[in-house]
Amino acid sequence: MNTILDNLQAFWGYTGFANFELKYLLMIVIGIVFIYLAIAKDWEPMLLVPIGFGIIIGNIPLFPGLSVGVYEEGSVLNILYQGVQRGFYPPLIFLGIGAMTDFSALISNPKLLLIGAAAQFGIFGAYIIALHLGFTPAEAGAIGIIGGADGPTAIFLSSRLAPDLMGAIAVSAYSYMALVPVIQPPIMKLLTTKKERLIKMKPPRAVSATEKKIFPIVGFLLTAFIVPSGIPLLGMLFFGNLIKESGVTRRLAETARGPLIDIVTILIGITVGCSTQADKFLQWKSVYIFLIGAGSFVIATAAGVLFVKFFNLFLKKDNKINPLIGNAGVSAVPDAARVSQVTGLLYDKSNYLLMHAMGPNVAGVIGSAVAAGMLLGFLS
Amino acid sequence: MNKLKSLLVFFGLVVAFGASAQSQSDMRLNEILVVNTDDFQDDFGQQNGWFELFNTSYGTVEIGGCYLSNDRTNLTKYIIPKGDVNTKIKPRQHTLFWADSQPYRGTFHVNFKLNDSDTLFFVSSDGKTIIDYIAIPKQFATDSSLANVSYGRTEDGIGSNDGSGEGWAQMDRTSPSTNNSGVNNESKSMRMAKIDPHGLTLTITSMGTVFLALIILYFIFKYIGKFSVRQRQSKSDRSQTATSKPSVSVEDTTSEQIAAIAMALNLYRIENEAHDAESFMITMQHTDRTYSPWSSKIYTLRQTPQVKKSK
Repeated sequence: MNTILDNLQAFWGYTGFANFELKYLLMIVIGIVFIYLAIAKDWEPMLLVPIGFGIIIGNIPLFPGLSVGVYEEGSVLNILYQGVQRGFYPPLIFLGIGAMTDFSALISNPKLLLIGAAAQFGIFGAYIIALHLGFTPAEAGAIGIIGGADGPTAIFLSSRLAPDLMGAIAVSAYSYMALVPVIQPPIMKLLTTKKERLIKMKPPRAVSATEKKIFPIVGFLLTAFIVPSGIPLLGMLFFGNLIKESGVTRRLAETARGPLIDIVTILIGITVGCSTQADKFLQWKSVYIFLIGAGSFVIATAAGVLFVKFFNLFLKKDNKINPLIGNAGVSAVPDAARVSQVTGLLYDKSNYLLMHAMGPNVAGVIGSAVAAGMLLGFLS
Repeated sequence: MNKLKSLLVFFGLVVAFGASAQSQSDMRLNEILVVNTDDFQDDFGQQNGWFELFNTSYGTVEIGGCYLSNDRTNLTKYIIPKGDVNTKIKPRQHTLFWADSQPYRGTFHVNFKLNDSDTLFFVSSDGKTIIDYIAIPKQFATDSSLANVSYGRTEDGIGSNDGSGEGWAQMDRTSPSTNNSGVNNESKSMRMAKIDPHGLTLTITSMGTVFLALIILYFIFKYIGKFSVRQRQSKSDRSQTATSKPSVSVEDTTSEQIAAIAMALNLYRIENEAHDAESFMITMQHTDRTYSPWSSKIYTLRQTPQVKKSK
């Protein structure tokens, strides 16, 4: 009888109930909120469902030494987490993004590239704020990349610069990407006049197949020569685009933008979620990261919109850019472009900005990868 | 088939070249201590001269089977034993050899000493190709003040491999099996905290670079676009001249017009039922006819075959 009781007592010691602390419950609630937002509000469900469930998995109170936790070497979750820690999931996601991105809008009107560059002020604005809040330059760089509104880039950079903060940075980046339709419109309205919002842009010209094939090669050569530290992201992005546009590797492109990106998204989402264990995640630094993250999105959006207004001063009357597409420079493809479209339609039902906004939107992806390369080169 | 074979051979050569490029040739002699009286001890508690090899690549390199020598006329003087797991040198890592002329003490004890050597050679496993060699300055063996002072590359793996000693210098301290430039170097992040505490320099530099990259891309694609439009326009003009139809400007063709044309073509295709995939739906339309074809004899009888007679 005593043996049975001893066994039961030992078993009880292994259960989540015996190791329970309130902080785990808080994290589980956060995970459930993420899942709720994804299902009920349709906010980035592809990301928030895996991350939300990952948060729940990662916060089941564990008896240490069972080799099941994400931070326990040799556990299955730890092996899957290597893709995040060593940074090989983000370039694979970039491969898929490249294979599904149509750069036509950008090629037909290449000046939109500059909006994508301007929006990167969000990254460096956040970097400066983080430095002043007492983070080290490496940590500040990792936090700043939230302003790039690009989850894979944020994970890639934070895994190199500040692995301890990666969970908070990734969750913050994805949360604000989901909140783009909420954060951006008030800033866009605040910084533009009614007249500016009604600007109708010239329809983009048709882009030849040859131009589309040249773009990834020239784009990669140029950006990689300028920022070699961005090669993993830029290389995969442009390679993905080349297999899409080459016309002779249809199966590869379909795999990259279909099953491959889906698999990696599942793995990255669930493992990033798991990495937010309460004892690592619930700290003042995480609160600061969330606050700075919000600030970085605001700065990036404002910089994009204000840059368009400034740029318009030098453009001919019939060639002006609607500043409502300035927000799309923050990448967050295609949500930021959708925000431009929806906001534009509020003021003119016949003003379709989506295709125009896709230009700065994809330029933002290139811009944030270049910025990440710069931060890596300076701080790693 | 021949093409396929050539392709396979080509790939084989590329892979073989890549494999060799990512291997022994990436190893460098990195640091030498000729006279050791008060420095590092080996596993036997002995103090002897030592030298360090450094893997400059980002892949693991197997040095088992390579040679070490202090004699140009006998490059295969000491073979590094094969099959020792410790001869697999991890990326950017060091390994230490004891020059104690006592090879029976293990893989990393060579059969010569440094104080009677002019030059140290690291030789490929073919026994002929010298991967790296360095002339050992005589004073390290003769000058007693240089005892326990090492001679090495100021930065790991950086410098010549032709014996000229470029990149080599007398070291401030010995660093067996570790970085020559110092393990306590402050990180880039710490350096940045000192030189740019407010982050403005990094911001200006990085934003400048992002703009520069995208501005160059903008100019390239602006001109590629113009060239492309001109090409298509001239092609269009040529075909119009041939058909003598009124000219249409390609540049003026907007994506909306193209979308409208595509839609029209699609509707035309649907109306003509020239589709590839069937819907697999059968619909029956009711028709009122007083006469039913079911009762007609002409539908139930076969037509009489026509016999064609050859003339």
